[in-house]
This record gives sequence, C-alpha cells and structure tokens, in this order.
Amino acid sequence: MAADSNSTLSGPGERTGWLKIVDHISTTCGWVSAAMIVVSVFITCQMIFVRFVLNESTIWQTEAVTFLMVAATLLGLPYVQKLRGHVNVDLIPLMLKPGARKALALFTLSVSIIIVALMLVYGFEFWHTAWSRNWKSDTVWGVRLWIPYLAMPVGFGLLLLQLVADLAAVITGLDKPFNINKESR
Amino acid sequence: MDPLSLGLILAVVTVLVLFSGVSVAVGLLIVSAGFLLIFDGARSLQLLPEIFFGKLDNFALLSIPMFIIMGASIASTRAGADLYEALDRWLTRVPGGLVISNLGACALFAAMSGSSPATCAAIGKMGIPEMRKRGYPDGVATGSIAAGGTLGILIPPSVTMIVYGIATETSIGRLFLAGVIPGLLLVSLFMLWALYDTWRSGSADALSGRSFSWKERFEILPRVLPFIAIILGVLYAMYGGLATPSETAAIGALLCLLVAIIIYKLWSPKLLWDVLRDSTRESVMILFIIAAAGVFSYMLSSLFITQSIAAWIGTLDVNPWVLMFAINIFLLVAGFFLPPVAVILMAAPILLPIVISAGFDPYWFAVILTINMEIGLITPPVGLNLYVINGIAPEISLRTILVGSLPFVACMVIAILLLCLFPDLATWLPNYVMGEAV
Repeated sequence: MAADSNSTLSGPGERTGWLKIVDHISTTCGWVSAAMIVVSVFITCQMIFVRFVLNESTIWQTEAVTFLMVAATLLGLPYVQKLRGHVNVDLIPLMLKPGARKALALFTLSVSIIIVALMLVYGFEFWHTAWSRNWKSDTVWGVRLWIPYLAMPVGFGLLLLQLVADLAAVITGLDKPFNINKESR
Repeated sequence: MDPLSLGLILAVVTVLVLFSGVSVAVGLLIVSAGFLLIFDGARSLQLLPEIFFGKLDNFALLSIPMFIIMGASIASTRAGADLYEALDRWLTRVPGGLVISNLGACALFAAMSGSSPATCAAIGKMGIPEMRKRGYPDGVATGSIAAGGTLGILIPPSVTMIVYGIATETSIGRLFLAGVIPGLLLVSLFMLWALYDTWRSGSADALSGRSFSWKERFEILPRVLPFIAIILGVLYAMYGGLATPSETAAIGALLCLLVAIIIYKLWSPKLLWDVLRDSTRESVMILFIIAAAGVFSYMLSSLFITQSIAAWIGTLDVNPWVLMFAINIFLLVAGFFLPPVAVILMAAPILLPIVISAGFDPYWFAVILTINMEIGLITPPVGLNLYVINGIAPEISLRTILVGSLPFVACMVIAILLLCLFPDLATWLPNYVMGEAV
C-alpha cells in the first residue's frame, strides 16, 4: 500500500567482513520478528478458541500478543533497514548530481544515527528503571515490565548497528547513495 | 515564540527533513526530538522511549500485520489471475466486458490484498496484454488498472482505514463500512469512463465480448471462492460482534495462509518465507511510522501547536466548505509526495478536531481523505502504481500510462464532490448496520 517512490531502487551490493556480520545479525532479527508475528497469530486464535468454544476467560493472551507485536516491530527495525524497506521520499536525492547526492546520503545517515543512538540511550534508561524497580504490569497476569521493555534498547541498538554499517558502505562506495542506480536527471 | 509561528516553522522543517531522503519514521523522530530539545529542554527527550513504546502497546495494532499477512498470502498465489479470468468468463455478454472484468477484478483483488502495487501487478500482467490484444486503447488498458489498484485502500478490509482508526480513535468496523459504497461508486465511475473512452476512440469493436461455455464458467469458481469466502467471513465475524477486528484478522490470516498452502500449493518453505518476509517488512515499516508519528504528535501537543492551530481556525470564521476545500488541497498535495500511511498519521490528529468542530462526520472525512490518498498513488512524482505498470508493460510509455490515468483522477475528484453533496454515501451504511455513532 505504501512505498518507495520508484523502481530505481535496488538491494545493497555484496558485503564482506564486519558488514556481512551485521547483515547476518539483521537478517536473524527479521526471522525472529516474523516468528513473533506468526506466534501472535496462533496465540490469538487460541484465545478466541478458549473464549468462544470453551467459554472460559483469558488471562495472558491479549497482553502477550501486544508485547509480541511491540517486540516484533522493534527487532524488525534493523532487518527492514537492511532491506531498505523504511519508506522515504527520494525526490530531492534523485534530482541531485552524484557528488551532492552522496553528501546528502552521508548527512541523512549521520543524523539518523544520532537520533537512533539517542533512542538507544534513553531506551536503555527506560528499561533499566523498570528492571531496577521491578515494575509489573497492572493486569492479572502482572508481567515483569523489563521483559517487554528490553525490546527498546535491543531494537534501537541493532538498528544503530545496521545504520553504521550502511554509512560505512556508502563511504567506501559499496552502496550507491540512497541506492539510486541511475545518474542524475 | 507563539505556538502558531512555531507551527509554521515546524511545517517547513518537517517538509525539508522528509524530502531529504531520510526514512519517514526516522525523519519524524528527528523533527520531534529537535523541536523538543530546542523549545522544551533536554529533559523532555527522556520521555521519548516511553511515548514510543506506549504507542505500540496497543492490542488494536495487531490487526495491521494480520491483514497484511492475509493480503500477502493472497498476492503470492495465482488468485489475481483466476479472479480476472472468472469475471471475464462470466461477463461476456456485457458490452466492454473485458475492461469491466479488469476493473471488477482490481476492486475485488485490491480489497482482498489491501495492496495497490500488488493489485496492479497481479491483474495488470494478465489484463493489460489481453485488453490491448482485443483492441482497447493503451491509455484505457493501463489507466484502468492503475486506477483500479488504488481501490485497495478504500474498499474493506483496508490497512489505511485501520491506521486512520488507530490515529483518530474511531471505530475500525465503522470505517470499513463507510468505505463500501464510495468504493462501489468509484468502480462504477471508472467503468463508465473506460467504456466511454473506448467507444470515443473508435475502438468500439473491442467492446464486444468473447463467449465461454458454462463448463468453462463453472470450473474456475472453486479457485476464486475460498479467498472471497474468508474475507466475507472475517467481515461477518467482525460485524456480528463475535470478535474484535484484531482477533478476526488473526483467524483470517491463518485461513488465508492455509488456503494458499492447500489450494494454491504454496508448499515450499522458501515461498512461505517470502510471504512472511514481505508481511514482516510491510508491518514493521508501518508500525515504526505509527510509533514515530505518536512521538511527533506528542511533540505537537506539548508545544501547544495542535491546540493553537485548532483555536486559530476556530477564530477565522470561515465557511466550513471553504475549510474543507483547503483541507482537500492540502491532503492532495501531501498525497503527491508521501505514502498514505504517513499522511494519515501526521495529518489526522491535527485535522480531525478541526473537521469535527466544523460539523463534519469523522467517518465521512476518512473516506474523503482516503480518496485523496488514492489520487496520490496514480499521480507523479511518487505515483507508485504508474511505475508498477511501467514495469509490467514496458512497451507502453510512462507518458501514455500517466495520460491514461488522468481521467480516472477526474473520476476520483467527481467522487469527492458527490460525497460532499451527498455525505450519506459514506455515512448511511455504517449507521444502518451499527446504529448512529455517538
């Protein structure tokens, strides 16, 4: 339904060394994220079965599925970044000459890295508070909140790693800036 | 600085940041953090993770990946081609049956898959060559598919509507119903134009059909009915009050995957992984924007920008329809550049209070907003559907595709005007099924 603006995008080039390791980590995150979504499908179906067929009340399912979705989103971030799946508007990059386009790509990636690092630092604090004070959710299930909150620092930390790898790939010329293949118009 | 001037600066900065090529979600976080840091101090940044997490901590969001899995599993099969063929076989006696089948297949497939580009690709691959072979003008063949594909975000179940429902805390069930009649209206307008244009261009011969035996007509049904049955079942369960949209969507996702595996023989782990990978990518992308837009709207209200804009428009004393016209222009322009989800998440929380206080219905407004977004899908510079069609029919120039799509844009504008004249087109069905909104 939504999407990148055109067909000039392509996947990243062949990577080696630590860039490859980062790619593997991000892909693994994608698997975990997809698995969490699938598990949510089954838990939700089980919940409906318990409620409508067995006529019993459900305790943990809604909350578990919600937290699984949060975790799937956060852990999916580095993977979707690796696939270049985070939608952007690349009109201005397309209009620029290759040199200026590269400069802009380096700039936007650097600013992205700063904001993601900020989310990582404050996300860690957010998690650490819940952990050190042993916060629990105010539901019957009463899950210890540091568990779902852990997805914040982990997700943003891995996204940071992928972004740094992408920045390195653009600097070394391994990736085309904004993955735009053609020359400027 | 007063909040209104701040809002103006913010709007300019947001546009600049989003146009720099940074991803939409990260761009929203950059703008939010930047403005909070400058105008509210560094301490306010500490709250960002909590707000981000809080936006995602919502059971209703489950419906997004679930509907996306439903769509992705349908899109991974031959269902699109089958649907198109079934309609073609059944509509032979209708003049212009082929283009009508194509548009009908687009509407049905768009509804089932919820994805515009997937619809254009699935129906267009079969439909465009066939229409050209039978003498339809290139512009009609490509324009009808491009426009037909956009229906996915209006006809239920629609992920765009779910996002609107979450952003504005309106009923998703009601939003789905509000899209039904306007969706049918749009399909009818598209069909009328396609028939007229074909006739006008002197290709009237193309309008006569080809005949099929009853055997041919019936043998294709088992291949198309399962998915349609699942979608109808999901919608029925939702309106029957059996379960929430998230819950029914989860069952729908499971059933669609099973049908894809059993009927369409999607056995191989690789194909299944493709479906899951695409669903995960799309879901994560949307959910990231939802969370980032949540942070963005927190920033807007903690700097009193949202409130000031609403109060300022209240003092303007403009005619509500002038206001609605201005809002439409704004949405149209935003839709030219940004994906529907991003526009809805950024604009809806600011616009909805204004729209409601001007006396408009929030469900009616959702339909107007969505049709504006549909226009953005088939107009440059970001009109995704145009590029998809260019990809599957490279022998037709992008210019022909674009010119062919423009009359369909006009149909959408006509639909918006009709909806303004007769708001009941959007509000009657939800009120009839679910009672008046409170």
